[in-house]
Amino acid sequence: MVSRVYIEAEIRDHPRAQQLLKRLHKLPVVEIEHFGEVFNPRAQNFRLQKKDPAIIIAAKNQGHVLAAPEGYGLGGDKNYYFSHMLNCIYDCRYCFLQGMYQSAHQLLFVNYEDFGAQIKQIATRHQQQQVWFYSGYDCDSLANEPMTGFTEYFIPLVASIDNAWLELRTKSTQIRSMLKLQPVSRVVTAFSFSDHFSHSRLEHGVPTIARRIDAMRRLIDAGWAVGLRFDPVVYHQHYQDAFVKLLNDIFSEIDAQKLHSVSLGSFRLTRDHFRKVTRLYPEEPLFAQNLELNNGIISYPLEREREMIEFCEAQLMKHIPRQSYHPCEWHG
Amino acid sequence: MLIWVCALHCEAKPVIDFYRLKKSHEDNAFDLYRGDNMACIISGIGKLASAAASAWIAGRYEDAASIAWINLGIAGAATCELGSIFALNQVIDADSGQRYYPAPGADSTLPGCACLTLGQPSEDYREHQLYDMEASGFMYSTLRFSSAELTQSIKIVSDNQQHKTGQDRPRISALIHRHIELIDQQASGLVVLNQEIAALEISPESWQKLTAMAHFSQTQKSRLRVLWRYLMNRDLNSEQLLRELATCASSKAIIGALEQLSYEESESL
Repeated sequence: MVSRVYIEAEIRDHPRAQQLLKRLHKLPVVEIEHFGEVFNPRAQNFRLQKKDPAIIIAAKNQGHVLAAPEGYGLGGDKNYYFSHMLNCIYDCRYCFLQGMYQSAHQLLFVNYEDFGAQIKQIATRHQQQQVWFYSGYDCDSLANEPMTGFTEYFIPLVASIDNAWLELRTKSTQIRSMLKLQPVSRVVTAFSFSDHFSHSRLEHGVPTIARRIDAMRRLIDAGWAVGLRFDPVVYHQHYQDAFVKLLNDIFSEIDAQKLHSVSLGSFRLTRDHFRKVTRLYPEEPLFAQNLELNNGIISYPLEREREMIEFCEAQLMKHIPRQSYHPCEWHG
Repeated sequence: MLIWVCALHCEAKPVIDFYRLKKSHEDNAFDLYRGDNMACIISGIGKLASAAASAWIAGRYEDAASIAWINLGIAGAATCELGSIFALNQVIDADSGQRYYPAPGADSTLPGCACLTLGQPSEDYREHQLYDMEASGFMYSTLRFSSAELTQSIKIVSDNQQHKTGQDRPRISALIHRHIELIDQQASGLVVLNQEIAALEISPESWQKLTAMAHFSQTQKSRLRVLWRYLMNRDLNSEQLLRELATCASSKAIIGALEQLSYEESESL
């Protein structure tokens, strides 16, 4: 349950801020000077905040679009990411966002035009190349869609730039606004899935697998490009059977030939994030499993990871053409 | 552990009476009242006094797994009716400009308000803002020991542009007492959150017994703490586990045994 709204005084009159305030009119509103006053202090308890987060309405003043980390991407010439929101409405125990910020509040940036200007600038700089812009790294791209109107602004923007591609990464089923738009072949909505068992144990507040498959199918039927992301695959005693069932459930509804891309990666966190999440959730079995430190990343021991990835890849290849597969390479 | 911080005895009285807190005769730096997992400290007037009292009492309860705080007191306002109650959602220190954001839970039934903490009494009231003399000192100090989610400041309007309760101490107690059920409700919500955080901590007794079993380096202690916190949160019997570990010959063997147990416990998520 959202507890309150913080809003930067300077952007109170921004049309998107006004729209948000109208939508959130039942919540107490606290005026602030800069989002950092609320979002950055150390004396915050992420775990408690996650129960009743606040929404912070703010403007982002710098670093709107950033180069994607090494190894991130789907084979484009240039890869960038941007976040119109920081933090996610869902509470997935494996997610690095738990250790990313001091705060669990949902920070919404309303100055889309500044993001848009930078996207245009970057695309122009690499005019002869395919430039990918990834959304959904620091948030779920679509989860707050009815409030943010994200797709309404960014999809037409990307459609107007010939060498720009956009990935929306989501676990949400909020596709209504996309269904109202003309499909754009350079916009890929990538749905993340974990098997049913991991979903029930680790993905708190996330729509059911069946509802997400349904959302995917509706987007495909409407002509949109859709991707599948099995990242992270989490180890548990029955992960093999569970992964097979997940694939059967997906591909009994989705035509694999119509998928834009599929990627797969095992559970991993940087050492710093891992330290933070184990402090926040010391009782969480996921963090008590047999894990190892490898080049600053905590993940399964190499042999277990190899076994998991090989198994999942083999199962996946029974359903999808190899050319649509993009493994998550993080070992460097 | 829930700690109430009040500037005046008359502000604390409704809480002391409601929870039947007993005066502590062991302490003389500040007047202190204690009860079951609860204490109430009388700081004296002003932000420095509030900060000092909060820091002093936090030191007294350093062994508490987690502390929740409520600053309860009176405030001035321009137009609010006398006796109006608020849970502060913004505290501004008038001298430094520093702002703090206590975070009343979503289930809080008290209306929120901003409060300006002044160094000296003033009647230069502004709309939509309360005035007090302690809240910023309280926040400054308590946020070093607890998070904003466990720190609240509840203010009852005692003075406005038309009326002044001033030094009428029985009247101040009465204004606060009127809301004691609501205040208790607010405190109960905070206690639930605090218990969740406290329950995650290792009991000092079991930790002491565990670390006395062998010589652990600092790195080993860090690992040991993670493993022990996990296993204790899985409802394992600590005494039985400690007995089993007694057969381990070294610190490395103890950690190895606990890791093995963790891996087995966590296989099924």
